[in-house]
Amino acid sequence: MAVEVAIVDYGAGNLRSVRQALIHLGVHVTVQGDPDRLRGFSHLVLPGVGSFRRAMELIRSRGLDQLLAERVAQGVPLLGICLGMQLLAARSSEDGETQGLGLIAGEVDRFAFDPVATGLKIPHVGFDAVTPVAGSRLFSGFAQQVDFYFTHSFRLRCGAIEPVAATAWHGESYVAAVEQGVLAGTQFHPEKSQANGLKLLANFLERF
Amino acid sequence: MAKKRLVFTLLYQQGAFYLSRNFRLQRVGDLHWLNNNYRFASIATAIDELVILDVSRQPRDLDVFCAMAAEVSANCFMPLALGGGITTMAQAETLISNGADKLILNTALARNPELVRELVAIYGSQCIVASVDYRREADSFAVYVDQGQERLDCPLARYLADLEALQVGELYLNCIDRDGTGQGYCLEVLQQLPPACHLPVIMAGGAGNQHHLLAGLACSQIDAAATANLFNFVGDGLPRSRDHLLDHGIAMARW
Repeated sequence: MAVEVAIVDYGAGNLRSVRQALIHLGVHVTVQGDPDRLRGFSHLVLPGVGSFRRAMELIRSRGLDQLLAERVAQGVPLLGICLGMQLLAARSSEDGETQGLGLIAGEVDRFAFDPVATGLKIPHVGFDAVTPVAGSRLFSGFAQQVDFYFTHSFRLRCGAIEPVAATAWHGESYVAAVEQGVLAGTQFHPEKSQANGLKLLANFLERF
Repeated sequence: MAKKRLVFTLLYQQGAFYLSRNFRLQRVGDLHWLNNNYRFASIATAIDELVILDVSRQPRDLDVFCAMAAEVSANCFMPLALGGGITTMAQAETLISNGADKLILNTALARNPELVRELVAIYGSQCIVASVDYRREADSFAVYVDQGQERLDCPLARYLADLEALQVGELYLNCIDRDGTGQGYCLEVLQQLPPACHLPVIMAGGAGNQHHLLAGLACSQIDAAATANLFNFVGDGLPRSRDHLLDHGIAMARW
């Protein structure tokens, strides 16, 4: 099947840079928010900025939660970016306790370190290093430490090591990327991470 | 710890890009010219962040500005900060929906702090960059707004402390005396920062070569070095500068 990517548009956030990055890689990209029209694509991308609660409300109200679960069960690769990765998890405490899509085992909470004692800032903004797990498909061909662009105040932690594709440290260790079967997710923004990000997106399209 | 940054600032006015010297503008060319002469997309791979400011002295056209920003940044895979003359929430929303990761505010910081509070509440501190234009005086620093035309009575140190209290996300400090001169940054301004200031500082105004960028980024209080000097840094100027900074041990992202 030819690579046909759909960016899942649930009405929050700016999808332009994700779309530009995928177009730059030479694939056909559709932005679509109607679940009935999100079938027939080879890959799905779930972006996201803003609050976890608000995003889940929008996703549920459009029936996109069921569509995403159905597509993933059918073996269609799904990449969550930033909040989009967090949404794959079971729950988040952002803006009140909220259930996520529950596609990977993990929990999302605010960074728990003391910014004054550590001198580190929340939100965590800027290029920072991540450490890929050996054998990761997303990070295939990368060095042992790679820089990507982050902007977030909440972070994912996974009880099990299985879905973790990369870790990073900002006052504490957290999950920078996940991959499990057809699911992938990055806390950082590959579409704003120069050549490193383009390479990671290409890995997702080729290896998932 | 987030890496240090090299920032490029494009100055835009009514369809063309400009050089600025002490805030006097000199037209260099339009988008076509920028791409033809300077292969902007290729130099953009050497920077961590792109800033585009509408420095128009005449009334601005936000839609035209946004269309230009989209075209310039179409193949730029890095954070984008847009600003220039933001006075309303609607303008801010237009810039965000057109791809701005951050908004640069200047005159509104002094004239409309309520707008700044509202923007911080809606988009978050990380989205709001406080741009401060200043001049060196005999034994102090003076703040200017409205494109350097109006001098505020508030001394720089107090102004910066007020901005920190407003919960802006970053400071973009631009020295009018050094602007476009290529004489190097005014590093003495760092003494005007509030004690224990935790805001990331972007230095602007005066960088003429890679040694100036290095001198800035070597300071612990400086997170980012910005230049708007098209002539000194386009071509292979920025890629060579980035290599120079990395070679001298500045903790910058690699790709």
